[in-house]
Amino acid sequence: MNKAMSRVFIITAVLFVALVVNLTWIMVVRAQWFQDRPENKRSIAKEMKIKRGDIVGYDGSVIAGTQRRSGYYYRDYPNGTIAPQLLGYDSVQYGRSGIEAQLNDVLTGQSSDLGVQNWVDKLLGRQPKGASVKLTIVPGVQKVAQQELQGQRGAIVVLDPRTGALIASASAPTYDPANLEDQWSRLSKDTSAPLLNRPTQGLYVPGSSFKVVTASAGLDTGAVTPDSQFVDTGTYVIFGGKVTNYGGEVFGPNNFTYALTASINTTFAKVGNKLGRKRLITAAQQYGFYKTPPLPLPAGEVVPSGRYGKKGLLSPNAFMDPLSVAWAACGQDQWLATPLQMALVAGGVANGGHVMKPYYTQEIVAADGTVVSKAQPEQWLLATTATTAAELNTMMQNVVNSGTGTAAALQGIQVAGKTGTAEKGDGTNLAWFIGFAPAQDPKVAIAVVIENTQATGGEAAAPLAAAVMKTALAQSSLP
Amino acid sequence: MSRRNLELVFLVLAGAVSTMAYVSVYAGRFREIKSDSIVYGLVFVGIFLLLHVLERIFLPQADSFLLPITALLAAIGLTEIFRIKPDLARVQGQWLLVGAGLFILTVLIVRDHMKLDRYRYLLGAVGLALLVVTIVIGTTVNGSKLWIHAFGFSIQPSEFAKLAIVIFLAGYLDDKKVMLSVPQRHVLGVPVPAFKYFGPLLVMWIMSLAMLVFMKDFGMALLFMSIFVALMYMATARAVYVAAGAGLFAIAGAIAVYFVPHVHERFAIWLDPWKDPLVSGYQLLQSLFTIADGGITGAGFGRGYLLYANHVPVVPELQTDFIFTAVANEMGLLGAVGIILLYVLFVWRGFRIAVYAPDGFSKLLAAGLATAFAIQTFIIIGGVTRLIPLTGVTLPFLSYGGSSVTANLVLVALLLMVSNRTNIIRGGTELERRRLAEKG
Repeated sequence: MNKAMSRVFIITAVLFVALVVNLTWIMVVRAQWFQDRPENKRSIAKEMKIKRGDIVGYDGSVIAGTQRRSGYYYRDYPNGTIAPQLLGYDSVQYGRSGIEAQLNDVLTGQSSDLGVQNWVDKLLGRQPKGASVKLTIVPGVQKVAQQELQGQRGAIVVLDPRTGALIASASAPTYDPANLEDQWSRLSKDTSAPLLNRPTQGLYVPGSSFKVVTASAGLDTGAVTPDSQFVDTGTYVIFGGKVTNYGGEVFGPNNFTYALTASINTTFAKVGNKLGRKRLITAAQQYGFYKTPPLPLPAGEVVPSGRYGKKGLLSPNAFMDPLSVAWAACGQDQWLATPLQMALVAGGVANGGHVMKPYYTQEIVAADGTVVSKAQPEQWLLATTATTAAELNTMMQNVVNSGTGTAAALQGIQVAGKTGTAEKGDGTNLAWFIGFAPAQDPKVAIAVVIENTQATGGEAAAPLAAAVMKTALAQSSLP
Repeated sequence: MSRRNLELVFLVLAGAVSTMAYVSVYAGRFREIKSDSIVYGLVFVGIFLLLHVLERIFLPQADSFLLPITALLAAIGLTEIFRIKPDLARVQGQWLLVGAGLFILTVLIVRDHMKLDRYRYLLGAVGLALLVVTIVIGTTVNGSKLWIHAFGFSIQPSEFAKLAIVIFLAGYLDDKKVMLSVPQRHVLGVPVPAFKYFGPLLVMWIMSLAMLVFMKDFGMALLFMSIFVALMYMATARAVYVAAGAGLFAIAGAIAVYFVPHVHERFAIWLDPWKDPLVSGYQLLQSLFTIADGGITGAGFGRGYLLYANHVPVVPELQTDFIFTAVANEMGLLGAVGIILLYVLFVWRGFRIAVYAPDGFSKLLAAGLATAFAIQTFIIIGGVTRLIPLTGVTLPFLSYGGSSVTANLVLVALLLMVSNRTNIIRGGTELERRRLAEKG
């Protein structure tokens, strides 16, 4: 009996040895391999031992700070919810997104361009210290933009047309980033997509706001002038189909400036057909369509605008029949645009045809207080000539002064803009307003989009644009 | 040094190690030492000192290693539970008290484990009944039917059934070992003893298979089957029982993998956890990641990343089935191997008690308990480290769970009783021998 018992003990001992061998395999031999698995988010936990740099607003107030608990630094948001979708999250459970992902190396002090001190720390094997990032986002403007969107679905993008600095980027519905983990399952399942950063990821039919691009192409090519005469009968028949006006309106004789002011579809359809597919698409490309706007964010968090088919973005060379071209000139057909792209269109016109590269980093400050880098505004695209931009500017002032966009007007400040109302076919509209102010010396450009509304762009989007631009222009300093 | 004094020295050592671990966790979590933490520590020390004193009176010659190992494992478990879910540590502490109570009752009421042999059929029936009851009125948790919810408690009867069945098997096999080792007939070349002797064992075997099918739990079935096969082998010294048992269980296992969806899923996850890393494979992969992060020395008690920002553990069931994962992360390879060595030491003492025991029943009882303890430990550590498919059994003394800690404390009491009797017979004082005789 004793011999058998010894044998059983030896068998159990062998089992335990197998456990030890397997543990050594996991914890020593394959440890690095496990750490490198993409499914393994524990490297984020390692970096949470580093004091993550603050993300501060343009006014210096802390948007995302840190709080130390049991040796790990967790994000906190001392000034409430400010652009959570743009800022993104930093979670061991759900990974990283937004600026937190894009600037992770900087925020954790591991970036190679953080100066000598950082390099010395690395050499000595010290825990790096995170650099803080100052954004171009102005919390005062951002908060107003978020308030204006409250209770609705949509987005507001505000940028400085002269530099491309992103002043505000609001996405609604929104969420409280402070306890994302607890809300994750609800947020990720919510059909209103609160986690989506609508300004850069939301694709919307641009509708009449796109007429700015069509007008730009028309004026550039000489196909039309602001005074070109048209006659509207309410219907423009082409290629076995027809183009009609919003609400079935009939305008009669009109010039091109008035056609933009009152948003006459038939006139723009005619201009579109005069231009043809190629010139219309080229104009759109000049404003940034078909390209991913160079706002530095993780892959997929900024999407290109353009004509979309069932399988995504179509080639700019995709075939269009004349009816498609006619509707495309009115921003319908298969156009989809992000609010950021439409803000860049407004900004391009405001800035004399120069579309600036959008950015959100004002400066990076290393842990020792030295400013490591400062924003350097750059031109992205040349959309149109200064002459065309000036003509469009005047025409867009008309829209606000006497057209569909009067609700965007501000006391003592000339606003220029264009409304858009895209009918979704389910009885709801997408309401747009894009514009800039002051028209003579533009300091802010804006795009507002409201989903699921019964109202038009002039009713649902223009007043929000007015409120946000007013706040922005009242700021003592803008990026 | 006398056995009890040696035990006291070990207990003090275990206490010192536990205190350091606890202070480390507490300081990491709360950044200061508060008085109530000391109260908890004192209650814990009090429990084990009480058991030690009980041994001095009733089991003077019992093994010196088992209680200190138990104390150390329980302290590390409690510390780690406290670190993961502080509220549960208090509950676990209460279960430890209940377990100590059962330990004391076992020693006081049973007095001499030889008496248990008289009730072997009753105990066997109780063990069987516990399993049947679980199958009939049990609740399915995480796909396995191992729990009974009653009186506001969740009880895992299989933990107690394990003890009852080991006692039954030890008694039965000791009695019938001669008959079983001299087979009358051969079926397909396999020697088969008379059905009269084999019958009850057949019931055990069918029970294991029923657990596989009805409880949908591979681990428990494997545990019972291992106990059964190991005891058969130790009683008869016939390797053919091991081969037959392993073969039959392998066939049953294969059938279960094909036909019991939960078992099939566990098996598929074991083969390829990467197939669905966010849902079915999530728990096992997170466990492996967390263990791999421990490295050689570990993050330190209370210093590993075991909780997300919202205090949700990084691995679901971290405080119960996956407690070893937490320990490996914070204590590193050295600590994890240390824990395994503690279990090996425990099992070795168990077998040593068996080998030295003067009679067959004591031998089989101690060896059966040691086997059960060893196999259960192997199944769960092997499961969380993906050495074998994962099944939901607890890690003795470390995992959170009332049934586990109370049943295992009774297991310790039984082993101590066997060793006490052996040591007294082999070299106790005249007084001790007389008192032992009175008990019987």
